Amino acid sequence: MVSIIALIQNENMKIYRRIGTIVMIGLLLLAVIATGIIQKYVIKENATDWRTAIQAETTNFKTNLEKNPNLPTALQRHYEKQIQINEYRLEHNVQPIENSTIPGFMNTTANLVSIITLFTVIVAAGSVASEFYWGTIKLLLIRPVTRSKILLAKYLSTIIFALLLLSILFLSSLLVGGILFGLENADVPYLAYVDGHVEEVSLVTHILTLYGYSGIELIMMATFAFMISAVFRSSSLAIGLTIFLLFTGVQVVQLLSKYSWAKFILFANTNLAVYQDGVPIVEGMTLSFSIGMLILYYLLFVSLAWGIFNKRDITA
Amino acid sequence: MEKEAIVQIQNLSKKIGDKTIIDHLTFDIYQGEVFGFLGPNGAGKTTTIRMLVGLMAITEGEVYINGVSLKKDFENAIKHVGGIVENPEMYKFLTGYQNLLHYARMVKGITKERINEVIQIVGLDKRIHDKVQTYSLGMRQRLGLAQAMLHSPKLLILDEPTNGLDPAGIRELRDYLRKIAREDNIAILVSSHLLSEMEQMCDRIGIIQHGKLIDVKMVDEFMEQQGELSVHFQIEANKNQKEITINDMSTITIMPNQKVVELRMQKEEIPDYTTQMVLAGVKIYGIRSTSTLEDRFLEVTGGNEIG
Repeated sequence: MVSIIALIQNENMKIYRRIGTIVMIGLLLLAVIATGIIQKYVIKENATDWRTAIQAETTNFKTNLEKNPNLPTALQRHYEKQIQINEYRLEHNVQPIENSTIPGFMNTTANLVSIITLFTVIVAAGSVASEFYWGTIKLLLIRPVTRSKILLAKYLSTIIFALLLLSILFLSSLLVGGILFGLENADVPYLAYVDGHVEEVSLVTHILTLYGYSGIELIMMATFAFMISAVFRSSSLAIGLTIFLLFTGVQVVQLLSKYSWAKFILFANTNLAVYQDGVPIVEGMTLSFSIGMLILYYLLFVSLAWGIFNKRDITA
Repeated sequence: MEKEAIVQIQNLSKKIGDKTIIDHLTFDIYQGEVFGFLGPNGAGKTTTIRMLVGLMAITEGEVYINGVSLKKDFENAIKHVGGIVENPEMYKFLTGYQNLLHYARMVKGITKERINEVIQIVGLDKRIHDKVQTYSLGMRQRLGLAQAMLHSPKLLILDEPTNGLDPAGIRELRDYLRKIAREDNIAILVSSHLLSEMEQMCDRIGIIQHGKLIDVKMVDEFMEQQGELSVHFQIEANKNQKEITINDMSTITIMPNQKVVELRMQKEEIPDYTTQMVLAGVKIYGIRSTSTLEDRFLEVTGGNEIG
């Protein structure tokens, strides 16, 4: 039996020995640095006292709520949540996180996980399809290794690529943030809104949670792209379709959110952060429901990818 | 001594939809022999080879490699097989060495020494650390052969191995294949649509057409069956036209200053023609006979039609 480690080494060699991959890593680093420079030198924060700003915001939200009783429920709940958090801040003297601090910066760069999702989708889409495109699939599959195992190595190396990019993002944000904004304010707590009340969370926990939630969407989309690539042998189809869904999926669910069946759509469930810190897209959804749906979709993608790849006649 | 069959193919069939692509092939390949798989384009050579290496599913029938069923125990059957299917497509962004390392990792127990040994054998040691995209087609063929030989297979399957090679390359490959078949007792399956190539490379030839195996014979038997040869005399005649009687049946006419005579005849007739021409004062510089096996092959397979 050939060890899966050796097969993953092979796949890693095929990922990291290509220019495209190096460019992706470079672009990610560039994005972190650019974000830092923009936050430090371009955006000017208003110098007014944070208490005054927060009070103004709270009053604004309250009048909005009173004047328009027909606001969408999601917006109403957003206002209520924000009002509670603002009141907590004033009461306990907890300053909002400013962008020009290292926590604020890391909070912003956590958004770059969407770029990592994009890059991982590209790698996932190429993983199987490229072998067909290059014609190398013929020499790859005539080894004493089952197809399932080869596909598993390809899948795992894709996930490792995503984890590597996430670590690069985290560490480079820490480094760039530390250099540009210094390490003071690192202990300001983040205020999370859990089950209708406000809780203080440490910033590291908060940022790792952000990464974790985005990571779930990342894994789902990468697995989807990987499946399309294994089933249709076309990386452009896999990339195109995945990115199209990534951009339109959430909007479509929002449009359909008044129908209760919309909660069965994948994209209604990919953002688990709403259960910690917001409101679900369709009313009545719960965390365990979404986790269940995600597992079902995941199993569907995986069984399609493996089922079809194992059976396929290689005619490339 | 009975030679051991390393591959047993029994009633191998492939159906795609209603269409039968390969129709109940049955033959064995023995240790130490080069088996030629001959047929026009579209006859089913590549499909058969793809089934033998597990790239395509077997619809019906069995393949045993070293006694192990390919269908039931793929990993243990295929570990005795090395091959190139069509062109040896490699990872162009990797070096030749990295390509070999890649395939070496997929079989247990291949050492660095073995990789280097194979590189020496195919003569790529000077360029092995260059990227494959800089290789010529001939070098890619060598690298293809190297990856097929890495795990010291008992059966080597080469699909159209001479595609894109120059005559020197073909000759080199031919000599090398004959050598490893003889010395290392490897069975080699070579496919081709060119009979002339097969004649020189193979011990036995199987002819396939429309997915059916028409004939399996030793190359010698094929040669014995042959009828007429095409014989090419390189001559210098003097200025007069000559009529030369060869025997009761035939005469030839030689024109003034003729340089070449090309005739069809039985093998036994060549000395008669030669003697009579010499006696008639024609200087002979060379005699070359070409087998008409090619014609026979076309006769058997009905030309190059794609079925």
